[in-house]
Parts: sequence; structure tokens; C-alpha cells
Amino acid sequence: MKILVCVKRVPITGGKIVLTDDEQEIRTLHLGFAISPHEECAVEEAVRIVEAGGGETVVLTLGPAEAEEQLRDCMAIGADRGILIKTDGTEWDPQATAAAIVDAVRGDGGFDLILFGNESADAGNYQVGIRVAAALGLPVVTGLKRIEPGESRVRCERDAGGARDVYEASLPAVLTVLEGLNLPRYPSVPGRLRAKSKPLAVVEPARPPSKLEKLRLVLPAGQGKQAEILGEGPAAAPRVVEVMQQLGVA
Amino acid sequence: MSSVLLYVEPGDELSLQALTLARGLGDVRAVSLGGAYQPAAWAAALADAAQGADAIVAAGSDRGNELLAHVAARLDQPFAANVTAIDGDVVTRVRWGGSLLEDARLHGSPRILSVAPHTQPAADPVQVETLTAPDDGSPRVLERVEEGTGGVSLRDAKVVVSGGRGVGSAEGFAIIEELAGLLGGAVGCSRVVTSAGWRPHTDQVGQTGTKISADLYVACGISGATQHIAGAKGAKKILAINNDPEAPILASADYAVIGDLHEIVPAISAELRKARGT
Amino acid sequence: MTGVLFGRRALFLAGLVRTARPADRSGDTSARARNEAVDVLGQRTLLQRAIPGLMHAFIFYGFIVLFPTILMAMIAAVDLHATLPWLGRQGWYMALVDVFVILVLVGVGTAAVTRAVVRPRRFEGSHRGEAYLILGLIALVVLTLLCWHASLVAAGLNEWPASASFLSKALSNVFPSGDAAERVFVWAHLCTVFAFLVYLPYSKHLHIGVAAANVWFGRTRARGRLEPLRFDLPDDQLRFGAATVADLTWKQVLDGFSCTECGRCQDACPANATGKLLSPKLLIMGIRDQVFARSDAPLAGNGVPEEMIWDCVTCGACVEACPVSIEHVDHIVDLRRQLVMVDSRFPAEAEPMLRDVERSANPWGKPQTERAAWAEQLGVRVLEPGDPAPEILYWVGCAASFDERARASAESTAKLLQAAGVDFAILGPREACTGDPARRMGNEYVFQGYAEQNVATLNGAGVTKIVASCPHCFNTLANEYPDFGGRYEVVHHTELLAELVRDGRLEPAKDATQITYHDSCYLARHNDVRSAPRELVAAVGEPVEMKRHGRKTFCCGAGGAHMWMEERGRPINVERAREAAETGAGTLAVACPFCTVMLDDGVREAGAELRVADVSTLLAESLESRRSGGH
Repeated sequence: MKILVCVKRVPITGGKIVLTDDEQEIRTLHLGFAISPHEECAVEEAVRIVEAGGGETVVLTLGPAEAEEQLRDCMAIGADRGILIKTDGTEWDPQATAAAIVDAVRGDGGFDLILFGNESADAGNYQVGIRVAAALGLPVVTGLKRIEPGESRVRCERDAGGARDVYEASLPAVLTVLEGLNLPRYPSVPGRLRAKSKPLAVVEPARPPSKLEKLRLVLPAGQGKQAEILGEGPAAAPRVVEVMQQLGVA
Repeated sequence: MSSVLLYVEPGDELSLQALTLARGLGDVRAVSLGGAYQPAAWAAALADAAQGADAIVAAGSDRGNELLAHVAARLDQPFAANVTAIDGDVVTRVRWGGSLLEDARLHGSPRILSVAPHTQPAADPVQVETLTAPDDGSPRVLERVEEGTGGVSLRDAKVVVSGGRGVGSAEGFAIIEELAGLLGGAVGCSRVVTSAGWRPHTDQVGQTGTKISADLYVACGISGATQHIAGAKGAKKILAINNDPEAPILASADYAVIGDLHEIVPAISAELRKARGT
Repeated sequence: MTGVLFGRRALFLAGLVRTARPADRSGDTSARARNEAVDVLGQRTLLQRAIPGLMHAFIFYGFIVLFPTILMAMIAAVDLHATLPWLGRQGWYMALVDVFVILVLVGVGTAAVTRAVVRPRRFEGSHRGEAYLILGLIALVVLTLLCWHASLVAAGLNEWPASASFLSKALSNVFPSGDAAERVFVWAHLCTVFAFLVYLPYSKHLHIGVAAANVWFGRTRARGRLEPLRFDLPDDQLRFGAATVADLTWKQVLDGFSCTECGRCQDACPANATGKLLSPKLLIMGIRDQVFARSDAPLAGNGVPEEMIWDCVTCGACVEACPVSIEHVDHIVDLRRQLVMVDSRFPAEAEPMLRDVERSANPWGKPQTERAAWAEQLGVRVLEPGDPAPEILYWVGCAASFDERARASAESTAKLLQAAGVDFAILGPREACTGDPARRMGNEYVFQGYAEQNVATLNGAGVTKIVASCPHCFNTLANEYPDFGGRYEVVHHTELLAELVRDGRLEPAKDATQITYHDSCYLARHNDVRSAPRELVAAVGEPVEMKRHGRKTFCCGAGGAHMWMEERGRPINVERAREAAETGAGTLAVACPFCTVMLDDGVREAGAELRVADVSTLLAESLESRRSGGH
């Protein structure tokens, strides 16, 4: 099976977000970077499928040159090669991102599965996977917690309240997955060393004008809410119960 | 007069919240679809029904976002997910699960947007037209498999008592479970806890876990990373129990108790029992 | 024939050592010689336990003194009237022989009684049968020697004045005069010796050959330093830790050969003391057995139960207690390295810590942008790129930066340094984790990434002197960063503060508060910092010592990355908290952020009435009270 997994480099923000002066980006000095947990599960799943049945896992990202770090991390757990659609670091809107991915897919060709995280950790636009599928004329199922690829079809499951909805799609297909799909493995050092020399293709397309044009980022009001301190230590318990009774939950 | 096509999920409060925002955009035609869920086919029906509409709106639920993404792909128009406000073609939408907002301009027509949950009051229910979507061979729900997990569902629980790194171990969750049980609520946890293997992912509250909508969320030993807050935002009130008065979660909490959760949580349970005379 | 059998086995063992992986134990000749003199000749470590120590000393010195008699027996076996030139005729020597025959028998007897009747816990798991056999053989060797001498005297064949060897002479009265008895006993003696010699390299008595060598090659300095691995080698030369016996270094193989199964390490181990599976003794024995068997099975799970590998808190009490310089911690970390870096098989609860260290540069996973938040209100200088280097850089550490209980020591230290007018600065967000928790966990790769990054930051900033308030940071900066190009003068904050007090730049006021000081393993044992914190405690209150203090300190339980791992059995920190409470002191002084948190938890769980505070906090409070006019 030839599987493509699309990931996105995002900062690890911690408890407080600080914006750059021009309000266009998050200030990322001294922050670490990773890919979203949904995407980690996607990469793990792809690697497992290929381990079981043979084939190739390709990881792709649209991002700055530094995003190579995330691709190498994916290779360390077993992806075979990477594609970096290199940008100058500014964000591309979902339609532009999807179009660039579609071009890369057409250039590489022959993927049986294309996996995405359900939504990116930062922008959360919920649409790139669906747009890529539409452009390629492929079936797409989203929000998956379990996927079982077969010879020509893939059976997938999605949470529905306390139950699971079952879908089936013919291959090739686009699937978007959620954290909880699996437990991603911890990369081994031999894996990391091998990843350093795995192939990485870099393309640098021109950025099309943005149809969902980011004007500015804004910190929501109510950050820096003042919590009412009900007390310290176990002595606060009676006051806590009082509040619970007022809220109607006790 | 502008016309707005609103997709409504029957019985879903989020759709009624979306209705409030949709009304601000023009005359609302509320539609839903019958039969087994088939996203691409349903989206085709919506796209057809949206001919002539100035805006297509739905709730920012899993289904709403998925359907509108399909519609947008079909119509090759931009789609803004999880919008909190709209002014002409400029939307304010949610990023990072709610810890950041973005002002963006929609260069497209119709304006396609989903409404961020719990940012609008729910409107009164209206007449909803039911459309039919012919099967177009795209993936659809084939069957529903019951999970049989029992207990209170995290997503629907009225009270969630949640533990984080501060709980210290899988066994440490016994006091969390006790309090949740007394309040008839569900047990939740932060991502660190699931990564450490102390609780299953199904208990995880967060941006990539479950987004709760409880009346009260009790966060014990959780520092409050944005990723986690994103899942807890839907709660009406948040009580943080933490050793650290500087923990970020206090900036998102309504109430706090400072101290060791291993002492405080059992004390609250004891107090509840006392109050009930048990 | 003995020669052949002994020789073949000896060559086999030597081969195992020779073909093992390299280790650099060169240099420091004078320190090594001193260790030989003190530990081998002087039997220092063994004599820490009086009776077993004496028992062994008798046998050990006995072996040295009696060795020439073996040669004499061999000569006499061939020629009845010949003996060693000069020595064979010395009365004083034969008197000495007789004395040591008695001492050796006393030693053997004591040892036998200890093992058979007293049965101390440290022998659990040791091969008792083998021990009795060896003791029996030793006894037989000296008894046959005695009888031979007695029979020589009885036959009038002694080359030395019989009156000198009082015991032999006394015994000779029982022997018939005539040559036959003498021949019987000289051959009995030689046969016993030869049998022993053949058996020796197959038993734990092998230690008599290798222990002295193992002591010579033991660590002479930087005990807290772990050997780095190299990742820039061609594939077939890469070593990721100890997967099988083929990965062991020659020092590690020698460790196994030197082990006498005495169990002192097991007794000293805090994990063992609190019901965990780990026994450093059984771990070394397990590895040794796999080496003898030339097994190619993975060590973890074969010979060493995997649980043992994770129980360790790297406190070094085992290494401290070992009389033959076995370095158990090295074995354990090498085993962990394989499990973490290659097999990805380790306690799940530690994975978030490893990921956080790697991605967020600190094991708490908090954003580095907030690392200096604690210092904002205090006006502490944060060193920006391009700023001139301070006289001394205060390395705060992740714990004090991000943990609310550990923060107090950073705040106190900063205030004290300011009060004393010290020119210092912190790196703030540019201070990344030293990598210690990752390294102790076994992830050498992640550790080295941070070592290189931090060294580049420090060197780029022109830092030459560092003060650290965390003993783990201190140990890594002082002992391990030189391997990565970072050479700085590193002191622990208690050392710097003690110096400031001595110089009169800080003037604490002493009161009657009883304070007991808990020695951190990474300070007291790995780095010999014991007196400076005590000076500070004595300057602010009334010190009272716990029984296990100084080099014998009992771990708080957080070492070896255990701050982030779950603990089976009884908690180590509660055990230590109880010990502190038993002193009757009202304050438990610490000098480490991990000890602070662990012992605070321990005190709470033990239900004790003890205030746990860093020495710097106590000092700051003392200064404050003096300033505000208190006493």
C-alpha cells in the first residue's frame, strides 16, 4: 500500500499565547514545535499498515524550511520518505494548501490512502482533507477512530455518542483521523539516525492569493479571568460544596 | 434581502445557536436531511438548495463542519469554520480550540461559515424543511455499533471531574472517580494522563479529545495548557484545584482552591456525604 | 594438570574481558594507587562493618602471609629436605604462619556462623552452598598446612627452630615421629591447594584474582559522570547500551567477575529496602552468569528482570558500599539505554517526560517563554544574547523554574545573591534542560542534543563560572558537560552561600530551631559536597543528624528519572521522611528541588510534623529576621 500522510508544523504553546507586534502570528521564540496529536496517530497508523502488508509511507507538509524537522520525526518512526512544500513561513489558506497538496499528489501518483488529521491544531479549518478528496475525485471519510484497509475497500469507524458509526470507502480514499486511533510509538534512536538520510523532496510553488484572507490574530477577551479563590487546602471543602449546591450539581 | 441557507441537525442545541447568528445575516431557510448520513451526497443537496443564497450556515459541530467543507469544496468557495461573529465579509473565527481568534475576509460567494459552539444564545426552534439526498455512491453510515462502555458519557455529562499530571498515578484517580460518582458525573483527564497510560483516551478532555459541555468542570492537578482548555471551554463553570496559584488554568477558571488535590478532593467528597447525611 | 585446568579457564575469562567493548580507565595513576592501598591493602570499605570486615581481613592477610608456604610445600614435595631459601628457616615467619592459621580459622568460623546462624538479609540470593564449599576449602588448606608443619616438627625435619612455631610444635606431640605423616600431609595440603586453584576460576572466589584489578580501574573522579555514547559512527560500530553480553565494556565484565555476592550493595539500596525487586547484587550476578554462559539473549529479561532496571534511583549507595569497586549504576543505565533508545520499551508514564524534554526543552512541558517568570518581580538580570557575561551565571534548573514548591529555593537564592552584592544573571528562556532526566532514563541521544545546545549557549555567552541550585544540574554541568566542550567552574548554591557567609557578606542569625539536613545523593555521594550545606544549617539553627547521612545518605526517591515514574512497594520518600521525623527536629533542610518535593510529599504521607525547606530559604529567612530585629 502506498500511503500519504499530510502533517503540519505547529508551535507548542503551553498556557498562554503571545502575538507578534503585527498581530499576524504567534510569537514562537523559545517555543518547541510538533505536529498535532491527530496527525501523529495518522503517521503511526500508516506505518503500521505498511509494516503489516508492505508498501510505502510518504509524509508531506506545507510549511517553512524548519518543517523538515517534523518530517524527519515522522521518518524516525517509520515513514519512508518526505515531501516538503516549502513556503516562506507565512500561512496559506485552506484552499491554497489543498491545491498545493493535490499538485504534489498528482506529481507522485498512485497513493492508495491519503491520511490527514481531522483538523490542524492551530488554524482548525476542518477542510483541507475534504478539499483534496474533492479535487482528486476520491471518497473521503472524516473523524475516524479506527481504519481497516482491505484489498480494494477500507472499513472505518467514527464515534457517535456512546456508539460507533461504520463507513466503507473504495480505495483509493482520503481519510481524516482523530487522536485515539492508536498509541503512537516512541521513536528509536536507530530510527532517528536512519531518518537523517531518508529521501526528502522539496518543491517551492508560488503562493496563490488567499480566499480566506487572515487579517489579524486577536486574543480573546476574558483571558486573565480572575478565579474566585474559595479557600486553601481541605478546609475549603465546605465552601466548595456550597458553590456546587448553588450551581445545582451537588 | 439576503437569504441564508441554514443546515439544522434536528434536536441539536448547537444548530439553534447557529440560527441566532444566521438570522443576523438575512432570511433564514432552515433545512435538514433525512436518511443515513452520507456527507458528500448531503452536501450536494445543500449546494443545490443554496442556489441564490448569500450565505450558507451550520453549527460548528463535527457534522456541520464536515458538511460545509464538502459544500465549499463542491462550490470551490472559501469556508470559515467556527465563526464567532461576522460583519459583511469579515468573520471572526476560532483558532487553537478557542484560545485565539482570527479576523479573516471571505473572498467568495455565497459566504460559507459554521458557527463556533457556545458563542451564541440558542434561538427558538423554527420550521425545518427536510431535503432528500439521492445516494451518489460516496461513503455513508452503514451501521451503528454499540460500544457498551456504560457509565456517564463524557460529552453529555453535567459534571466532569478531571485529573491531570498532579494526580500522580493511575491509582491516584480513585479519589477523582469517587467525587465524580458522588456528583453523578464523568471522569476526565488531560493529555499527559493518557500519554502516561493512566486513563484511556476516551477520558481525555481537550482539543484533540472530548469537548465537554458540562455545568461544572472540576480540574484537579491540571496546569491548563491551551490544548486542554479548548476541550473544557464548553463548561458553564470551571473549578480548578491546584497546588500552584500561578497555574495557567486559573486564568480560565471561575473558582479555585489552592492546595494538594490528594487532600482537597477527598475532603470535598466527605463534605458532600455529610451534607447528604450519608 | 592443575596448571592446565586453571590456565584454560583463566584464559577463557581473560578472553571475555579482552574481547569486550572498550572503556577508558587510564590516567590518574596516583589516585588509583591510593585506592589500591586503602581499599585493597587497607580493606577500608570492608572494615566499615566491623565483624565481617575483620573476618575478611584475617583471611585476606592470611592468604598473603601464607602464600609462601604453598611454594615451600611444592618444593618439599619434590625434595623432602628442601625449602624456600632463607624464609623457610625463619622462626619468626613460622610463628606468624601459626598465628595466621588461627586467625584464618577464626575468620572462616565466623563467616560460616554468620551464614548459617545469623543469616543476614544481604545474603538472600547469594549462593550459600558455594560459600560453604569455599570456606571449607580455605579451612582445609590451613589445616593441612598446620598438620604438615606439625608432622615436620614431629619428624624433626623442620628447617626452622621448632620453638618459634608454637602451635605446630604443640600439635606435633600428637603426631608419630617418622616421615609417613609428613608425606601424607604435604600431599594433602598440595592437593587441597590445587583443587582449590582449579575450582577458583569457576566460582565467585575468582574475586581474589580480579578484585584488585577492578579496584585499580574504578572511577577516580567525577563519580556522577556517565560514559557518553557516540552516535556518529558507522552502523556496525554503533553501541546503544547493553543489549546482550557482547555490548558490555571490559570494566563491566570485570565487575561481574569481581562480585563476591557479599550483598552490601543490596543492603544499601533504597529500592531494595522498600520492597522493590531491585537488588544490585542479583543484577550483577545475573549479568555475570550471562557472561559466563556467553549468552546472546537480551540481558533485560534474561538474567536481569526488566522490573529491576526501572526500580533504580541512581543514588550510588551500592557503588559506595561495594568493596571491590563494582559500578552497578553504569550497568543499569546501559541496560536502560538499550530499552529506551532501541526497544522503546519503558514505563509508559515516563514517555510524556521524555517527549516534553525533547520538544519543550523541560520535563514539565511548560513553555520556555515562562521560564524566568519566577524572577520577574525580583529584578533578576536575564542574560540576553550579546550581553556581557556576569561574574557568575545562576543556572536555575527546570524544577525551580516550573514547580511551585521548588521555586522557593530560586527566589531565596536570588535574594541572597543580591543581598551579598554578587554579580549574577540567569539565562531565562535560553536555559534548556541539562538533559539529566533523559540521560538517567537512558535516552542518551536526547541528552546529548541538549548538552550540545547548552554548551553552545554558555560558551557563546562567555560564561566561565556557574552556580546551580539543583544537584542534578550541578552534577551534569560540572562532570558531564566537559565531554561536550563545556568547561566551567561549577559550584552548588550551598557552596557559594557558605562562602558568602564565611566572608561575612551574608550575616545570618542563629536560633534554637532544630534542623536536620538531608544529604542529596547527587551532592553528597556523587560529588562529595557535604560540609557546605552543614555550615549553613549550623549558621541558622541547631543541627541534628539522621543516622544515614553524608556518604551513607538515604535517597529521597526522585533520582534516576523516578520523579516521573511510578513506584511499586513502599515509597522511598516516606521512609526517609520518617527517618527525619525520628530525629525530633522541626525542620528538614534540603539542598535540592527534587528532594524538596519528594520529602514534602513524604512528610505529608507519613503524617509527620516537619517543615521541609531548602537551605537557601532558611538562610534568607534568617537574614530577614535579623534585618527586622528578631533576636
